[in-house]
Amino acid sequence: MTQQRRAPRIVLAKVGLDGHDRGVKVVARGLRDAGCHVIYAGLWQQPEAVVQTVGDEDADWLGISILSGAHMTLLPRIMDLLKRAGLDHVRVLVGGIIPDEDIPKLEVLGVARVFGPGTSIPEIAEFVGATGDATDE
Amino acid sequence: MSDKGDIRELLRRYRHGERPALNRLVSFVSRGDGIDLIRDELQDGSHESPLIAITGNSGVGKSTLLGRLIEHVRSLDETIAILACDPESALTGGALLGDRVRMSSHAGDEGVWIRSLASASGQQAVVDHLDLIAQLLTQFGFDHVILETVGAGQGDVAVESIADLVVLLIQPEIGDELQWEKAGVLEVADVVVVHKGDLPGAERTEAQARDLLNLPGCEQTPVVRVSSKTGEGIAELWSLLVNRPQRDLTTGRNTRRLLRLVQQRIATWFAFHPDEVESIVQGCSSSGMTNEQTITRILSHLTNDHS
Ligand SMILES: Nc1nc2c(ncn2[C@@H]2O[C@H](COP(=O)(O)OP(=O)(O)O)[C@@H](O)[C@H]2O)c(=O)[nH]1
Ligand SMILES: [Mg+2]
Repeated sequence: MTQQRRAPRIVLAKVGLDGHDRGVKVVARGLRDAGCHVIYAGLWQQPEAVVQTVGDEDADWLGISILSGAHMTLLPRIMDLLKRAGLDHVRVLVGGIIPDEDIPKLEVLGVARVFGPGTSIPEIAEFVGATGDATDE
Repeated sequence: MSDKGDIRELLRRYRHGERPALNRLVSFVSRGDGIDLIRDELQDGSHESPLIAITGNSGVGKSTLLGRLIEHVRSLDETIAILACDPESALTGGALLGDRVRMSSHAGDEGVWIRSLASASGQQAVVDHLDLIAQLLTQFGFDHVILETVGAGQGDVAVESIADLVVLLIQPEIGDELQWEKAGVLEVADVVVVHKGDLPGAERTEAQARDLLNLPGCEQTPVVRVSSKTGEGIAELWSLLVNRPQRDLTTGRNTRRLLRLVQQRIATWFAFHPDEVESIVQGCSSSGMTNEQTITRILSHLTNDHS
């Protein structure tokens, strides 16, 4: 069997209480156009629900969008739940407004990368390994 | 890529009820990997619930209705697995799968399982092996398995042709000409839902659908009016679906499904008997048979010994 190059599967979720999903939707479309399979999980997701989604969807990546400033309480919880669900292999991206001094703390928790406001989509696409020709062999 | 040892280990964990193993196996099957091993493992499993497909144009409310059905099924203390198939962009191979947003009221509930699948031309594996995915899910313990798909007439992937029960959603339309009448999609439906029953014109659409489906000499396809907005008709629809008898595949409009099953059976036989096939082919080739004779020979071997 020839190995088919698999499109990266990425779950995008918004946790926290703010209802702004414009940014995450722009990223969702951009990553789709770059050849990713983007699973949009919606707003106001609880950490437990996010982690179950990542598992059931067998995603390679989890992109968390946080604008509300609750990242230092929500992300430790999500990282811990992922570990306990045996989902250590899933790489986590964080987008939103994260103060510089918190970025190293998130990386210590296991977050693969923090993308601040103004990040370009191609930058994210390249990071997750999307090539735009994912169906080619 | 599909390491047999890996799959065996996954199957072992799957049998112990480990959800991550189920999740990974579904991914393998949806890519067409490890099919024979997995099919073999599940063969003697008995329990199988019918695969229900919910189809209809984009925007007709399939995902929203599924969200409601999930709530209803959970209120009955039963479990449910959803396969949401969305078309994939042929150009980039990318897909934006947003169906589960509309089903999120039970996010985090272990009695609900949702997998979003990108279905595109050239990725036939998803469609070809949906029955196996459904079997994985039912044998894992999910009481119901439902497929969401744009379905008939849209794109080249007729996912609904492999389902046991096809539920077609239509919605009230402005004007007299009914799109779904033109598309000829009513014929594939076992149950027709006039969805968005809260909108004006729903009753008229329901009457028109009944009229079109009421052909003399045929068993009447049930038509139900449902609103996911108000919840009206949800419980009635569900009891209709679970009490519907398995359809008779030998009657006219169902033969397509029957042929699919025949195709599948042949493919499975090939997968399981590579040596036997090989020896027939070699025998034919050494006795100087043509391709055509060889094919006939294989087919007759198949029907003689493995009917
Ligand atoms: N009025 C009304 N709108 C509905 C109903 N069900 C869904 N919708 C709306 O129809 C649109 C499409 O719904 P969706 O479930 O995404 O459709 P799908 O593409 O078939 O899965 C959304 O804007 C829903 O809010 C209903 O019962 N009544
Ligand atoms: Mg949908």
